[in-house]
Amino acid sequence: MLLLAAPLAAKEVVPFIDNDYATAVARAKAKNVPIFVEAWAPW
Amino acid sequence: MRAFVFTDKALERYAGQFVWLAVDTENGKNSKFLQKYPVAALPTLYVIDPKRETAVVHYVGGATVPQLTKLLKDGDTAYRAKSQSASDVLLASAEKYGAEGLASESIKAYQQAIEKAPKDWPRLGRAAESYITALSMKSDNETCVQQAHALYPRLKGTPSGAAVAWGGLTCAAELKRPDAIAEFEPPTREALHDPNVVLSGDDKSGIYGTLVDAREALKDEAGAQTLKEEWIAFLEHEAASAKTAEQRAVYDPHRLSLYIDLKTPEKAVPMLEQTARDFPKDYNPHARLALAYKAMKKYDEALAEIDKALSMSYGPRRIGQFRTRVDILTAKGDKEGARKTLEEAIAYAKSLPQGQRSEKTIAALEKRLTETPQ
Repeated sequence: MLLLAAPLAAKEVVPFIDNDYATAVARAKAKNVPIFVEAWAPW
Repeated sequence: MRAFVFTDKALERYAGQFVWLAVDTENGKNSKFLQKYPVAALPTLYVIDPKRETAVVHYVGGATVPQLTKLLKDGDTAYRAKSQSASDVLLASAEKYGAEGLASESIKAYQQAIEKAPKDWPRLGRAAESYITALSMKSDNETCVQQAHALYPRLKGTPSGAAVAWGGLTCAAELKRPDAIAEFEPPTREALHDPNVVLSGDDKSGIYGTLVDAREALKDEAGAQTLKEEWIAFLEHEAASAKTAEQRAVYDPHRLSLYIDLKTPEKAVPMLEQTARDFPKDYNPHARLALAYKAMKKYDEALAEIDKALSMSYGPRRIGQFRTRVDILTAKGDKEGARKTLEEAIAYAKSLPQGQRSEKTIAALEKRLTETPQ
């Protein structure tokens, strides 16, 4: 039953913006940093 | 990567050096991004220059923490570089073309970047990996095998070397060429157990898949069967060692496919029921349970599960679920239901926004509808 006691998910250590390219571009320009993008799908 | 990589504290130091964007390719909000940067395989990773809105890094496939760290460093260097070597300029062009879906231009630029590379070029590994992947995705298998043959000796003993051998074997299996399979099969297999080559469990599972394909290409059914048994033992061990439910669920699709292939689909049911309990808003365990029950010929249970999945899912992925529903109804002998579901699938496929809508998919569904008797 160890499986049931396991946490569902660990926390991400980097602050992802979800599904908002325009906001990411604006923030990156303001901070003068590049954008890292992970294109993924829930499957 | 969400379950294993982005949770790793080694990445904390990069948190402020980038803006981090997650693009769910199933979500209609991302259709503009997907038109600008067409995604051919998942995951795809990018580093984008926000001023020019062009990719300076384009990497198809998952990455381990060390691989991702390298991509981030390369991306930051490319973004800030005032002057670059000829190979770096060509690599940047290759990545930009690749991100824009221009495969032929991208391949040409990778080739030139590698040709002009100095002996100690630090980006040779990444360029070689992406070059071989691009050739394989374009189904230019002859060139893929030839280039993997030339590049592998330069990268042997590194994760990029393992990736190049794996890519070469993928292309060799497609060509069913015994000489090329003999060349790339041993180093691909060795990568599974090489402590110097850090690979994700996901990648190792992919490697087993290619090793099976290679054995099947040589019509070695006994060898393929032995590998499948080793593969499922590996997956079960990885799932049992997972620290979180999310990590365990990463292996669900691999295990399901293999259980079905090994004619033991019933073994998938408890693991998928567990995932469904752990993640009640996730449509995936229900879509997978439908496939398991279909393979078990339990059509009513399969139908109930696919309907649960369809009630929760969104994006292009739903089309695959409609197809599963058609398969279940066809197997059940419900032709009218199958036709109705196909009509729903076509209407849904046509409703998707640009960037997610696929004319090829719509044509395939329409063809299937004409082939499904009334």
